Amino acid sequence: MPTSVAALAAYQSKDFKSDLKPIWCPGCGDFGVVQAIYRALAAIGRAPHDIAFVSGIGCSSRIPGYTTAYGFNSVHGRALPIAQGIKLANPDLLVLVASGDGDGFSIGGGHVPHAVRRNIDITYIVMDNQIYGLTKGQLSPTSPKGLKTVTSEYGSLEEPVNPLMYMLAYGAGFVGQGTPADMAGLADVIEQATRYPGFSFVNVQSPCVTFGEDDDQVKDHRANMKSLASLGHDPTDRLAAMGLAQGYGTDLHTGIFYKNPNPPPTFDAQMRVRQAELAPKALPRERILDMFVQR
Amino acid sequence: MDDLVIGMAGSGGDGIVSAGESLISAATYEGYYAMMTKSFGSQVRGGESSCRVRLSTHRVLNPGGALDVAIALNWDDFLKFGAELPVAGTTIVIYESKTGVAPDALPLVGVAPREVFAVPIGELAKQGAGSDKAKNTVVLGLLAGWFGLARTSILRGLRKKFIKKGEALVAANEKAFQLGEQYAKEHPLATPRAMDAPGVQPGSRLLTDGNDMAAAAALFAGCEFFGGYPITPSTEVMQFFNREVWKYGGAVLQCEDEIAGIGAALGASFAGKKSMTSTSGPGLSLKSEIMGLASIAELPLVIIDVQRGGPSTGLPTKSEQSDLFAAAYSAHGDVLRPVLAPTSVADTFDVTVEAFNIAERYQTPVIILSDQEVAQRKETVDPIDPARFTIETRRVPTAAELTDYQRYRFTDDGVSPLSHPGMQGGNYQGAGIEHNERANPTASGKLHEQMNAKRFKKLAPLQRRKDLFHIDGNPKAPLALISWGSIAGVTREAYEAARKEGLDVKLLVPWLVYPVAEEIYRDFFSSVRSGFVVEQSYQGQLYRILRSYVEVPAGVVAFCRSGANPIQPGDVLAKLRTASLTLQEPAVQVPVED
Repeated sequence: MPTSVAALAAYQSKDFKSDLKPIWCPGCGDFGVVQAIYRALAAIGRAPHDIAFVSGIGCSSRIPGYTTAYGFNSVHGRALPIAQGIKLANPDLLVLVASGDGDGFSIGGGHVPHAVRRNIDITYIVMDNQIYGLTKGQLSPTSPKGLKTVTSEYGSLEEPVNPLMYMLAYGAGFVGQGTPADMAGLADVIEQATRYPGFSFVNVQSPCVTFGEDDDQVKDHRANMKSLASLGHDPTDRLAAMGLAQGYGTDLHTGIFYKNPNPPPTFDAQMRVRQAELAPKALPRERILDMFVQR
Repeated sequence: MDDLVIGMAGSGGDGIVSAGESLISAATYEGYYAMMTKSFGSQVRGGESSCRVRLSTHRVLNPGGALDVAIALNWDDFLKFGAELPVAGTTIVIYESKTGVAPDALPLVGVAPREVFAVPIGELAKQGAGSDKAKNTVVLGLLAGWFGLARTSILRGLRKKFIKKGEALVAANEKAFQLGEQYAKEHPLATPRAMDAPGVQPGSRLLTDGNDMAAAAALFAGCEFFGGYPITPSTEVMQFFNREVWKYGGAVLQCEDEIAGIGAALGASFAGKKSMTSTSGPGLSLKSEIMGLASIAELPLVIIDVQRGGPSTGLPTKSEQSDLFAAAYSAHGDVLRPVLAPTSVADTFDVTVEAFNIAERYQTPVIILSDQEVAQRKETVDPIDPARFTIETRRVPTAAELTDYQRYRFTDDGVSPLSHPGMQGGNYQGAGIEHNERANPTASGKLHEQMNAKRFKKLAPLQRRKDLFHIDGNPKAPLALISWGSIAGVTREAYEAARKEGLDVKLLVPWLVYPVAEEIYRDFFSSVRSGFVVEQSYQGQLYRILRSYVEVPAGVVAFCRSGANPIQPGDVLAKLRTASLTLQEPAVQVPVED
């Protein structure tokens, strides 16, 4: 007889932790993110071999390698298209995508609205640190205006993008945010995003301790974060979510901004219906060329 | 007469291409071999359009040279096609009399056609069908009347085409056809030229174009996923595949751009499915980064590139063979990526199935380098026996291998077992980053060298695949032709004509254009003193690639020109004749100085 909830669970966090030692700098926010992902995956209970975890390039994109899932550490900015191909080829898989602010909103930004509108059931986790860490401290698309970096010696002249507003405006069915300063909250948002039937997005404010603004970011997060639930936010209210999302860059809201209470059918679900409908019309493969015979 | 080349041009609304389609469909049904190429200006609607239809009682290798019959509904439109519709002294010219051009004042420079007919085509259409929309049907009547072409089958085809819109429209078109036919009978040719009867039973051959054939072959090979983006002249691959693949439990994802297209296709392959994408020139450039990823991640993937005039937008509706460098070399890093080129609609089937087999067997991206000519021309194809093909699938790990799985294990042949998500024990990290045998990232120079060696070694057997080369003629011949892609059909016709003239020439046509099969070329060149690599590109890209891998005899040169300037069999034949004469000259005796 099982004596505890933990014993009942098919998987525990440690089942998702690989033997690889992360290359991240000591204190990097991404250590917390990967822990939160282990927890979320354990709670969901799918076997590691039924999970495909895709990433692009950047510090954050090393994450799949630190899990025991199938991973694909691909090229810069292209994780989303690859992940969509995986999910359509095998809709039974749980498909996660990890990205950073540069990977996701700069070089790969063009893929985002299409991934959202296609509504393939994948979960997109962006580790947003407002800087290019792997290449040692250049301006990122979410860097605040005026930020001085090695490529903006005199302060950036550009407004940052607002990932939360983007996603809400594109029509994402699930938009959440978390920080490694609140591990339990972050794991919960990731778990809920993964359970959402459709495209889901989690923005993680994951501090870069090496090239970020200062060394006390996690402490600052802990002091300043406001849970959306505690603010009484109704996550089915998309307009209210947009109102709160405008605080991106100054406020640190955690939890669920928006979750569509009536999720529309996903692309992958519709694909299966169509395949089943059309299957009876298939010619045997060896007779495919018959359609070219002039009769 | 056993061979007839008809060229027609008009403005977009004249239905000249539709007339060509009716003709080739009827002729194929009746048992002729036929080929049809279309050419357009790049306007979406309107503008000039043309087609060439070649009919024969024997196998057709190319769209033919100078026209036997030229039909101009409008001279301005006709002349825009220049060398694509060449009129010669043997040509019979038929044109719309409403153009106001006098039969003895045709706007053709330097040529006096054999016979000229100014026909009131529009008027006959109005008279027969009550609308000059039936001009193309009148043209079909003229052709049937003058050349004895497929009368019954054309009428049968017209009925099939128009019956959806009612019996009245069928009758109207039949009338227009008859008026054309009657006009031809009342104005007979000075020398009657009726086509010989075809030799086979009606309804046994196939008729399609290279793009549809490639898509059908992909289905046959078991491809279940396509990711891509529309681009001329490759889009029909996606369109055909999209109509069919859902029936087989697969899907097509039309993506937001070329990069996403190949990305999704690669994802599907990672997930264990045979997968493909298709593109043309600019799209190939965009896809090159992910092609490199497929090479280092060692994932099977088929990429069809339908070549068009380039660089950049170039001549998007015209054929060219100028993407060979890009197909072979467009990647950073040390990469070897097989490139196969079909030469006809028929062998597009073989080449596509082979591309999937190579991709799966060696876990590599493979490029099918088609071209606009092969991709968009319609061609009669003899029935293909599916039983002569083997369909290969990737090597998956055995149960024993899964107990201690090493995705990139060093093996004797360089091919490692490939798992996919869902397979317990096969979990690994596919990666663009260099890796060790267990797929873990590495920055080790030693491992990088070893992995490069593995990725090159596994493809070495391709070098010995003689079945991917078609070599004909006397193996000891001193005169040689090499040609690839659609232009190989032109070269083959010249080769056959040269052999008939008694020239001692041999021919090599590769399906595998890269990597260069050095031994096969070395053997071929061993007897050669003179010859031509015939290509439709400005640089002669295969010629240049060959020179960087094998000792090409000094007398072998490129015979090449840019796209939309078709090389004709006669051009190649003339080159061969001259080369043959040169070979016969005694070697120049250099006087010995005292």
